[in-house]
Amino acid sequence: MQQIQVEGKVREERGKNAMRRIRKSGHVPGILYGGKDGAVALELNARHLGLLFRTEAGHNAILNIQVAGRGDEKALLKDWLVDPVRGNLLHVDLLRVAMDVRMRVKVPVHTFGEPAGVKQQGGVFEMVTREIEVECLPADIPEEFRVDVSGLMLGKSLRLADLPLDPEKMRLISDPKILIAHVVMLKKEEEVAPDAAAAAAATTATPAEPEVIKKGKKDEEGEEAEEGAKPEKSAKPEKSEKSEKKEKK
Amino acid sequence: MLMPKKVKYRKQMRGRRTGKAWRGSSLAFGEYGLKALECVWLTNRQIEAARVAISRFTKRGGKLWIRVFPDKPFTKKPAETRMGKGKGSPEYWVAVVLPGRMLFELEGVDLATAKEAMRIASHKLPIKTKFIARAGVL
Repeated sequence: MQQIQVEGKVREERGKNAMRRIRKSGHVPGILYGGKDGAVALELNARHLGLLFRTEAGHNAILNIQVAGRGDEKALLKDWLVDPVRGNLLHVDLLRVAMDVRMRVKVPVHTFGEPAGVKQQGGVFEMVTREIEVECLPADIPEEFRVDVSGLMLGKSLRLADLPLDPEKMRLISDPKILIAHVVMLKKEEEVAPDAAAAAAATTATPAEPEVIKKGKKDEEGEEAEEGAKPEKSAKPEKSEKSEKKEKK
Repeated sequence: MLMPKKVKYRKQMRGRRTGKAWRGSSLAFGEYGLKALECVWLTNRQIEAARVAISRFTKRGGKLWIRVFPDKPFTKKPAETRMGKGKGSPEYWVAVVLPGRMLFELEGVDLATAKEAMRIASHKLPIKTKFIARAGVL
């Protein structure tokens, strides 16, 4: 398992303005928790953390956090927050790991090869599950599970139980029946003729309104509908009343 | 075209389009996606036009997910009508899209096809968009 060195320091400041300043200075706010020690707020080097998202080990790489004045601590990325537009890392949650205690991690599943069901039978390969949960020692966390799908025919599927796992090193937590990938035939979309399309466009120009859910019991519905059908009539007397009042004045 | 089957009220208030899409902003189903970079009221016609463009380019291969649904009615007053007399009648349906929202997801095609399909689809939309692929694909 790959280890990444991340420099950081204890963060004293709190609040959005302080966090903005930290991010601007090339750091990422984070928190380190788990194990026997309490939670520590940190600011970590953004460049070092960025490596985590670019290595093959991915999010399961073990981080060696070097905090000034606290020494080194081993941690795993537990959670992270990314800006939805720019994609920058905004915050990280780090979990302390003990190298001799088994832990549960999610490992990505990657496939290779073109399925025979796609090549020969014209099906579509669909990946259903991309991550599986296993329990193992931090040193034994696999970077990924690579599965050859070139023999997958149309209608056939690949399940978790089919993955080659080393039972001595790791235990599967997710249900072995879970579907990883399959080759399916998609429903064929009906080809709309140009004339029919034009007719459809004409009808969609004035779309039918959806049904409005009515309140109350069914008996009251009828009454409401009757009232709703004559809104103009009820509105007119009000106006006449107003005009009468004005005349009186 | 996409529209709700049932609604509680026929008309809605306009609301505000501030902030970013903190939910629905990452790839959840497919390998590739098209992300909105601006806020917009996306009409059901625009969504349908983009969907048709993608499915035509991929020759109906691959699987497409539409991650937005037009559930907001857009009302309009008839032409040459005096002001007042209440709110207009519903004309079409829109999806409120905030920056960062994943609009479409695609799977079962190669990178070049997905990229081109999304590029064509983006021309049917009134906003700037970005092509997204899962880590390790690009």
